[in-house]
Amino acid sequence: MAVSPLPAQNGTSEIKLSAAKAKSLAVRTGSMSKPGNQGAATAKAKGAELAEQLNEETRQKYVKGKKLGEGTYAIVYLGHLKDDPQSLVAIKKIKVNTEYREGLAMDAVRELKHLQELSHPNIIALHSVFSSRNQNLNLVLEYLPQGDLEMLIRDVEGIRYGAAEVKTWMGMLGRAVWFCHENFVLHRDIKPNNLLIAADGEIKLADFGLARSFSDPYRGMTSQVITRWYRPPELLFGARFYSGTVDVWSMGMVFAELILRRPFAMGTTDINQLELICQNIGTPNEENWPGVTKLEGYVKFDNLNSQPVKGRDFYLGTFGLIGSVGVDLLMAMLTLDPRKRSTARQVLDHKWWATDPRPTAKRDLPRKGGGPAKMGEDLKRRGGEIEDGPGDKVARKLNFAAR
Amino acid sequence: MSRVPGKKGPVPGRAGEDDDICPVCKSSRYLNQNMKFLINPECYHKMCESCVDRIFSSGPAPCPVAGCGRTLRKQRFRKQILQDIRIEREVDIRRRVNAVFNRRQEEFETLRDYNNYLEEVEILIFNLINKTDVEETEKKIAAYAADHRSTISRNKALAHEESINITAEAEAQREQARIRRAEDLQEEEDERREREEGKRALVERLANSKGNADAIVQEIERAQVKRSSAKGEKANLERRKENAMATQDPFGVTNGSAGAGFKIAGLKKVVEPEIEKDYDPYGGTALEHEYYVFQDQYEHSWLDKARTNPEITTGGYDVGEYCARAMFEAFAGLGCFIEDELGARNVAVDSGTATAAAAMAAGR
Repeated sequence: MAVSPLPAQNGTSEIKLSAAKAKSLAVRTGSMSKPGNQGAATAKAKGAELAEQLNEETRQKYVKGKKLGEGTYAIVYLGHLKDDPQSLVAIKKIKVNTEYREGLAMDAVRELKHLQELSHPNIIALHSVFSSRNQNLNLVLEYLPQGDLEMLIRDVEGIRYGAAEVKTWMGMLGRAVWFCHENFVLHRDIKPNNLLIAADGEIKLADFGLARSFSDPYRGMTSQVITRWYRPPELLFGARFYSGTVDVWSMGMVFAELILRRPFAMGTTDINQLELICQNIGTPNEENWPGVTKLEGYVKFDNLNSQPVKGRDFYLGTFGLIGSVGVDLLMAMLTLDPRKRSTARQVLDHKWWATDPRPTAKRDLPRKGGGPAKMGEDLKRRGGEIEDGPGDKVARKLNFAAR
Repeated sequence: MSRVPGKKGPVPGRAGEDDDICPVCKSSRYLNQNMKFLINPECYHKMCESCVDRIFSSGPAPCPVAGCGRTLRKQRFRKQILQDIRIEREVDIRRRVNAVFNRRQEEFETLRDYNNYLEEVEILIFNLINKTDVEETEKKIAAYAADHRSTISRNKALAHEESINITAEAEAQREQARIRRAEDLQEEEDERREREEGKRALVERLANSKGNADAIVQEIERAQVKRSSAKGEKANLERRKENAMATQDPFGVTNGSAGAGFKIAGLKKVVEPEIEKDYDPYGGTALEHEYYVFQDQYEHSWLDKARTNPEITTGGYDVGEYCARAMFEAFAGLGCFIEDELGARNVAVDSGTATAAAAMAAGR
């Protein structure tokens, strides 16, 4: 994990750390250079004062409006710039979490750390950050009122789309993931309801609560990431050393879901998810994935359940919509062995983008308009959760204010 | 001439007299009943058909009117439409200029802009009509025509389409009027028949029954009044409905096929016919490394195990990604000038892609 340039890195208590962090983040919105980096104690004190001041300035810049949604992790408000009521933003206020009473929630740190580095049309923009009373962290995010991709996928009756639209959406998603990886960030929670839709139809990758940067060699990462239905087999097998291709698998699952209009593999447990992958895509073995049996969490499936890796014919039958070239891309994204799977760059270099049909223009994309409430719904969620699914064990607060 | 003065009005008479003698060959309508006069929009001198045939059949020739001498072509001779030759000329000029300056109001941001444009055009027309700065004006028009060829032809097509729509609309209205008339006639006919039937019924009843004749007459009359008033109401209702339809009609028509729907199409076309570029999967974002070339393989004994240990590689861990990041971070600070960024701070903080990452790395 890259070291973040914080003034108070060690020797301070947790509370101070969180405060300093929030402040230093607020400073970032004003300028790229961070005060107090020189290390002198006086400079630090001055820096803190300056940080306080800048934080206050930033906070004054925005007006917090209606509550859009509330979850266990965050409350989302609609807001706007004080000088311009037309410039809408979403303000995500991170709750002081019970687990991290003495600091910041990991999700918030991750989200901040990576969103402030990534600026791309297909990634949700973080306008600025400030801390309010009680050291609550507020992220000022781009306002995306058109709902998310999941709504479009689920509305089978109301929304119709074809290969051209799928291509446009996948192109946007592909660019977002590629840009993350090109900047050495693993998103680790790609799924349709983290793909928000901007007013102009652009898809924006949101929720970086599980993101992290590429790990150093010999430094393991947790395998408990990515919402189950979109989790690649290596993570289900407990691999602790993985790469950007985990996101590519999620992309492949989203791709399949866009075509099927239902999740490709809806496992109820991790084991069940593996079974579904075995059935629908193929059972991993030493032949198609050398070394897989050595993985920590490897589960052997008896011969009854084992299936050979599905061939092109199966994919053409199930995903005929995208044509044979598109099926090639899908197969490359849903390859069991992560080393053989396409990288994000290879996905974008695929020849499917150049074949017919041409991707639909942004303005002609079908839209449903989830409205502000849906954005609140999407942002308040904590990473890796399935909405009201079996994986969602945290009791959610009832919110009577939101309709 | 053996014309009796006072028989015709003085002005038409004069015009008639002028009309009747060709200024070139001096032959008059008296000698040639079928004489036709033609003009050429080059100089607007009038001459008879036979003169045109005689002089211009063998190619372009100078105008025979004394002091004119412009080169004219037979092809361009045409009949005079308006009596006053000056107005004829003005109409021609207007038609020509407006064919070039055919901008539409919806192409302008505000009405004022449109009016300003109209005024500019009017100045050009005025110049041409009054022969002031003709050369310069012509040059201007030609330059505009050359510059805006596509817009002009598009607007021309639009106007053409519009005129077709207008004719179609008028046709539809005529058709509706015809139907309404037929219905009215039918109704009148029905009414008349009913009245006659009523009369017949009255006579029959009077003939057959033995009751009070007055009472019977009254009864039948009452029934008739009732029926007719009911009919009147019905007609009223229908008329009202029709009126409502008529008031809605402009919307209906314009929204549907002819007016607004068409206009919107025109507007959309104005928005710029999209140039079909090849789809760029990268969306125009290119991340190039300015200061180093990334190699396929970096040799370091520390990395070897990560490359070969199946525990690490099986999950897909890629040493190449680590190397790319290491290289990026090693060079990320180069080319970042904090002084410059401080200067540009107020302009745009979040503008460039990956600048944040670079600044982060620079601050390490």
